[in-house]
Amino acid sequence: MAKHKTHYEDCDVLVVGGGMAGTGATFEARHWGRDMKIICVEKANIDRSGAVAQGLYAINCYMGMQWGENQPEDHVRYARNDLMGMVREDLGYDMARHVDSTVHMFDEWGLPMMKNEETGRYLREGKWQIMIHGESYKPIVAEAAKKSADKIYNRIMITHLLMDETQENRVGGAVGFNMRTGDFHVFRAKAVIVAAGGASHIFKPRAVGEGMGRTWYAPWSNGSAYALPIAAGAKMTQMENRIVLCRFKDGYGPVGAYFLHLKTYTQNANGENYEKKWYEQTKELVGEYIDHHPTPTCLRNHAFIQETMAGGGPIHMVTTEAFQDPHLETVGWENFLGMTVGQAVVWASQNIDPKYTNPELTTSEPYVMGSHATCSGAWVSGPEDLSPPEYFWGYNRMLTIDGLFGAGDTVGGSAHKFSSGSFTEGRLAAKAAVKYIEDKKAEGLKVSDKQCEDFKTKVYKPLETYTVAQNEITGGTVSPSYISPIQGLQRLQRIMDEYVGGIATNYMTNANMLKRGLELLAWLEEDLENVGAEDYHQLMRAWELKHRALTSQCVTEHTMFREETRWPGYYYRGDHMKLDDDNWHCLTVSRRDPKTGKFSMEKVPVYHIVDENEKKKAS
Amino acid sequence: MLGTNPFSVLAETVSPFAMQSFIVAMIVLIALGTIIQMIHHKNITYFFNNAKKAKLQATREIGAGEKASIIAKTAVVDIGTTSELGFGKRRLSHVLGMYGTIIFWISSAVLVFCYTGADKTSSSMWSVLWHVGAILTCVGGYWFWFFLRVDVSAEAHPWYRIIKADLFVLALLACSTFGLAWSYTQFNGQTGISFLFLTLFVVSNLVLFGGVYWSKFAHMFYKPGAAIQKNLAEADGSRDNLPPPAEAPEQFGLGIKREEPKHY
Amino acid sequence: MSTFVYMTRCDGCGHCVDICPSDIMHIDENIRRAKNIEPNFCWECYSCVKACPNHAIDVRGYADFAPMGHSVRVRREEEKGTISWKIKFRNGTTKDFVSPITTKPWGKFIPKLADGDKPNQGEINSQRLYTEPEGLNIDGELPVVPKDSFKKGVYY
Repeated sequence: MAKHKTHYEDCDVLVVGGGMAGTGATFEARHWGRDMKIICVEKANIDRSGAVAQGLYAINCYMGMQWGENQPEDHVRYARNDLMGMVREDLGYDMARHVDSTVHMFDEWGLPMMKNEETGRYLREGKWQIMIHGESYKPIVAEAAKKSADKIYNRIMITHLLMDETQENRVGGAVGFNMRTGDFHVFRAKAVIVAAGGASHIFKPRAVGEGMGRTWYAPWSNGSAYALPIAAGAKMTQMENRIVLCRFKDGYGPVGAYFLHLKTYTQNANGENYEKKWYEQTKELVGEYIDHHPTPTCLRNHAFIQETMAGGGPIHMVTTEAFQDPHLETVGWENFLGMTVGQAVVWASQNIDPKYTNPELTTSEPYVMGSHATCSGAWVSGPEDLSPPEYFWGYNRMLTIDGLFGAGDTVGGSAHKFSSGSFTEGRLAAKAAVKYIEDKKAEGLKVSDKQCEDFKTKVYKPLETYTVAQNEITGGTVSPSYISPIQGLQRLQRIMDEYVGGIATNYMTNANMLKRGLELLAWLEEDLENVGAEDYHQLMRAWELKHRALTSQCVTEHTMFREETRWPGYYYRGDHMKLDDDNWHCLTVSRRDPKTGKFSMEKVPVYHIVDENEKKKAS
Repeated sequence: MLGTNPFSVLAETVSPFAMQSFIVAMIVLIALGTIIQMIHHKNITYFFNNAKKAKLQATREIGAGEKASIIAKTAVVDIGTTSELGFGKRRLSHVLGMYGTIIFWISSAVLVFCYTGADKTSSSMWSVLWHVGAILTCVGGYWFWFFLRVDVSAEAHPWYRIIKADLFVLALLACSTFGLAWSYTQFNGQTGISFLFLTLFVVSNLVLFGGVYWSKFAHMFYKPGAAIQKNLAEADGSRDNLPPPAEAPEQFGLGIKREEPKHY
Repeated sequence: MSTFVYMTRCDGCGHCVDICPSDIMHIDENIRRAKNIEPNFCWECYSCVKACPNHAIDVRGYADFAPMGHSVRVRREEEKGTISWKIKFRNGTTKDFVSPITTKPWGKFIPKLADGDKPNQGEINSQRLYTEPEGLNIDGELPVVPKDSFKKGVYY
């Protein structure tokens, strides 16, 4: 096998991932760490990497404090309500009180933000969302990161975190490989901020051919945000809280602008408003949560799913009224072009003109991520001034491993942050990481060559496996001795789909199914020692798969642990169909022991730092 | 040496008629290779089907005069200066190699047909052109080979990795390099070595012209056709279904496009 | 879906290879031009389509569910700060859209923090981020919640 060069680099702050959170972290780190060495390592190309590659048409998290539109506590109530009570209110408040300054910076940098002609304010799409022409959102924030960083590495996939060898439970950096040159890269760092992608493609998607590519959340989000900390032994939270989205069929195009700005609505195939039909049934499952306003996302999904199962589908969104207005028609189409071009492609291919046809909706396969109407991720410390003592251990957004920080989809408990909130969380993590270093908490770090060499062998093993295995067969893709990344991925997706609440079972699971799922995932973990990669691109796919598989194990363990159905519409525990506030009004936290691979689970109290009564502020 | 016609010395052992026949044979090989490729790939069928389809999207008629001027402009700018390669090293190296090769081929034919043989005088000018053509081809070609091939620059493959797409450029480089080596060693009276280089020169030409069916050689005919079609489509509004350029002033400078496509 | 590359337009510049977030645009070994090597990992993000200087890349909707005969093409013009789209339905209906992509010259108003004012002494211990509290455009300091209001567990 070819010998691979190893490059060593020492730095102060290492940002893993150059998406919204990673660019936020890289950018802000320079302000606080003027003389520090700041490096960002990105799997693709920072100019278009991450979930915002094609742009966004709205910034879904903006308070508008300057105009008295919202206060941070309002957002906490909103996120808490949407997640059926299960959020980290300290993290959410912290993100919400800073997000406005992030958005104002984007405006200054040149991001086109739509303005309300009468008031001059940012044009609101809904209570939290403002509308932008964000096709170049990513290149703009990437430029900010480039100006701050000492170096941005592109096309390097970080596969593992390094641990310090002098002090237990302290991070030492990260390793990965360059998928162009094939070289191995070792980054020894005093602080590491994981700002990688959440997990798409761990459940079988609805489209399984070419259409596999049209996931709602980017297909290159392979759960590194979770797998990196999990493998290092960090605690994770709410990993059972996967998200299912109700979006336009096939293309999974966004519906937010439609509902909020165009004021469209849904109906079943008979033209009925079906949501009301399911009120009583939902109330039996979740009690008075169904009476909250706005209706939590999962409960709206739940009505959709029930209606479809009862034979009321296909469910459509009524657009024919709104689209008569040419301005709204433009918004409706540009909404896709600046955010999910694929939906425009689907409608063009099927002759769907929303002026004349009401397009079909669907519920997606599940995803696991931390920045949307969901908050799976790492268990992190909050800020000192907002966090109850159980939630604070020294540095904001630090995981349960010293020196390891998280932002964006990586962080659990801070829901509804979206792009601006993720960038903001990156900024928070960066400041804390710099403080951690200035407080001399990273002194005496030692990462041996041996630790790096061991990882190097692991990292390139799939190439070796493939080459050796080719000697056994004449050709083709079927081998008794290795599996290809796509073969492994399809197997993983099937396990999760059939046993852990995918579309195959209409999001239903139970303890027996989860147990079987864990068995099959364990075998998959063993077989992944024999994944074979033909070239560096396939090697990247192999490591994406490994990160996905580890994430999936964590998700399944969490799903097993929470014995209730907290979020009907996201998933159901058939053996515990009701929401159970008496026993489960708490957060779930896990830790995988790096030595044994075993998961240990615990309940952690939810602190409500904001009360339930909205105090109207005098304007 | 540059002003010496290498074919004149060769004429002492090989008849000019043989050399001329070789050149004619190479031309026939080009035609054969290209025609067989066109028949097999049915690319003419595709091309004209596509042009017909595009015509349906046309928003305006182009008159014969306008058509002629577009074709002329395409020939001078797009084809003559390889404008599709934008501004930069790739275009420069391609232009060097392109004109180098054209000069090399034309001067080879002129030298062999008009200035080689016992009864003919030599031509210092055409000899210089022959050598200059080969040198330009080498400069553009080796620059491309070592640094500018996209699989090397954008995908980080090593320069010594050879793929099927390299057949044309490698054969071209072989011809120019061995041609120059043959001329040089023959001029210095190194008979043995110069015979070796002559043989390699002949073989390179056989590979270059014999490989037309398998290589990118014929693309130098297809690309001009494509350029003309593209400019006509731009003029008649069909534009391959692309939106028209926006009517807005160029005031913001370049963003991600300001950098070379090499971020790894 | 996915992206595909027109033979007559691609000249092998590598911009698509460089930009693709999925690492699926690569160079074909037979003709040294770009191609999509893994259509089932293509998100139709159009990054490569926009990056191609020759408009050589186009998209054909995913074969699983997109009938043929459609076209959604784009022209991203950085210097003009615009992006133009032309949508063509299978039945021939066309729609055109033009949007801004920047309001300022690229990068010009993005600060180089290394050259900016340093944070005040002790600011690292505060909760303020860069530009704050002024950057929030509010009167006074960062909002905060008094710790004595925290409630554990169920509050409904």
